[in-house]
Amino acid sequence: MTRLPPGRWAAVVLFGAAALTPLVVRDSFILDSVILILLWGALSAGWNIAGGYAGQVSLGHAAFFGLGAYAAALMSARYQQSPWLGLLVGVALSMCAGALIGYLSNRLRGPYFALSTIAFAEVLRIVASRWRGFTAGSEGVPVPYRPGFWTLGLSHVAWLYLILAVALGCYALQVYLERSRVGYQLAGVREDEDAAEALGIATRRLKIKAIMVSAAVTSLCGSLWAQYVGFVDPAHVFSIDLSIRFALNSIIGGIGTALGPFLGSVLITSLETYLRATFSGIPGFSGTYLIIYGVVLILIVRFAPEGLTGIAARWRLRRARAHA
Amino acid sequence: MDPAARLGPAQIDVVAQLAVSTVLLGGIYALIAVGLTLIFGVMRVVNFAHGEFLMLGMYLAFFAFTLQSLDPYFVLVVAIPLFFGVGLVVYLLVMKGVIDASHNVQIFTTVGLSTALQNLALVLWTGDFRVIRPWHSSVVLRIGGTAFNLSQVVAFAVAVALTVGLFAFMKWTHTGRVMRATAQDRDAATLMGVDTDRVYRLTFAIGIACVGAAGVLVSPLYAAYPQAGLQFVLLAYVVVVLGGLGDMVGAMVGSLIVATVEIAGSYMFGTAWKEVFYFLLFIAVLVFRPAGLFGQRGAETLGV
Repeated sequence: MTRLPPGRWAAVVLFGAAALTPLVVRDSFILDSVILILLWGALSAGWNIAGGYAGQVSLGHAAFFGLGAYAAALMSARYQQSPWLGLLVGVALSMCAGALIGYLSNRLRGPYFALSTIAFAEVLRIVASRWRGFTAGSEGVPVPYRPGFWTLGLSHVAWLYLILAVALGCYALQVYLERSRVGYQLAGVREDEDAAEALGIATRRLKIKAIMVSAAVTSLCGSLWAQYVGFVDPAHVFSIDLSIRFALNSIIGGIGTALGPFLGSVLITSLETYLRATFSGIPGFSGTYLIIYGVVLILIVRFAPEGLTGIAARWRLRRARAHA
Repeated sequence: MDPAARLGPAQIDVVAQLAVSTVLLGGIYALIAVGLTLIFGVMRVVNFAHGEFLMLGMYLAFFAFTLQSLDPYFVLVVAIPLFFGVGLVVYLLVMKGVIDASHNVQIFTTVGLSTALQNLALVLWTGDFRVIRPWHSSVVLRIGGTAFNLSQVVAFAVAVALTVGLFAFMKWTHTGRVMRATAQDRDAATLMGVDTDRVYRLTFAIGIACVGAAGVLVSPLYAAYPQAGLQFVLLAYVVVVLGGLGDMVGAMVGSLIVATVEIAGSYMFGTAWKEVFYFLLFIAVLVFRPAGLFGQRGAETLGV
């Protein structure tokens, strides 16, 4: 039996703990926290596929999240159909949107790419808030609660296992990207696009594919989020804040690593839950955790750009050296 | 029917009114955009926190007016040196360390700054919309068939004066020349004995002073709230990319183009959809001429 690398052990512990939670506690606050940690982790993993592995740093992933959320919400609220159907529609739409963004922004690098993705998300936000006849405009769409798996009206425990399955899928997808041929090609594109192209890698097609997969994952999680939370409004689901948040978890945990987004999510989501619960009575203090996010983000990219997994790797290396 | 016959005085008035509104709006956008493009041109950093300094300028004007009943145009005298100082401090604390870092590090440093400042404002001053109505915001000037607001005219005049002043500074002073030299070639400037750290410090402080001043100037026209900077800065990105990142004259032209799209779009299709037009324009420019309308093709794939 081959030994698992430390990152994999950490993942086993993390997902194992999440899977065991419902057996130990039935408190809906704790179950809700675990669900959100896994969901935000999966969303950040989706961002990480484009932003981390392919180096296409997007600040407009809320576009795909919003498409997924609206597709599922409208399918169940407006057409009385299963949100699963909406989820599929959302994924299909997001993959098309991802292909379009990827195709149009293909030549753009660095800040230009980030700016163009912001513009895409903003266009969708404006359309969703103005097209009253279809999306109900800025008022948003309340999602009806109908118990059952087909209608996604689930108990907390069922939600936890559903989201856990999605999170595991995202983790596996990222591990695949770390070990497969296509993953190495993506790393080549990320590190030096011209060199990768010179080596015969079809960089443009690869970048578009990465964005499409990333968009599909983000959209899927967006659909589930809409059903879980039960309300969708354009100002939130298409906001830049949301796009930043996907990136934030990955960067704090470790950009371009499989565990990073989940590690970042554990830290950021529990911090948010804790501060929200602590300061909920005081008006205005709801923004406190976001100030901390901003400062942490500045400090992390400045002093530990590889994030927590990078710090852990450095620490292990130093310990190994001390032993030798 | 002859088209010229339909163009009666009423139509001419509408066109004149739209043209005047466009120019007035464009002047204010130019002041916001010029700081952004200056910072990009010299430092090669897209400041994603630019809008937050505009928001801070708006709050400064709001509190000066409500607490001390100071007119925003009087506050401007204090605001420019104040935001210059804020720019210096932010440069030393945040920007200095990432000037040679990768794009991603720079993007997320300024994004982090934006998030922190926006929510600091939310915690300190809540999310309420803060509006001030100084006497000049209710004075209407009428020239010919056109009418406009005095605050708008003053904001435009001051914005243009500041922008022209910055142009003159960049063109004719020694410091301005050093800044342009650094923008053209960082390494060559260093070899010529330019203290680039000092240049970056000054550039960032000037850029922030411009946008802070713009915030004070627009305070009688728009409400202040923690996310107030966002819509303006998104606009400023459009302007700056249109004109070519780092191109100051381009930013002026870009402001007029964006203002034209905004005014014409809201006249023809209603204000609700106006933003869609300039974002579509933005995407079109990024796709077809990413280095700006007059910029060098391919600049985006080079070091920028």
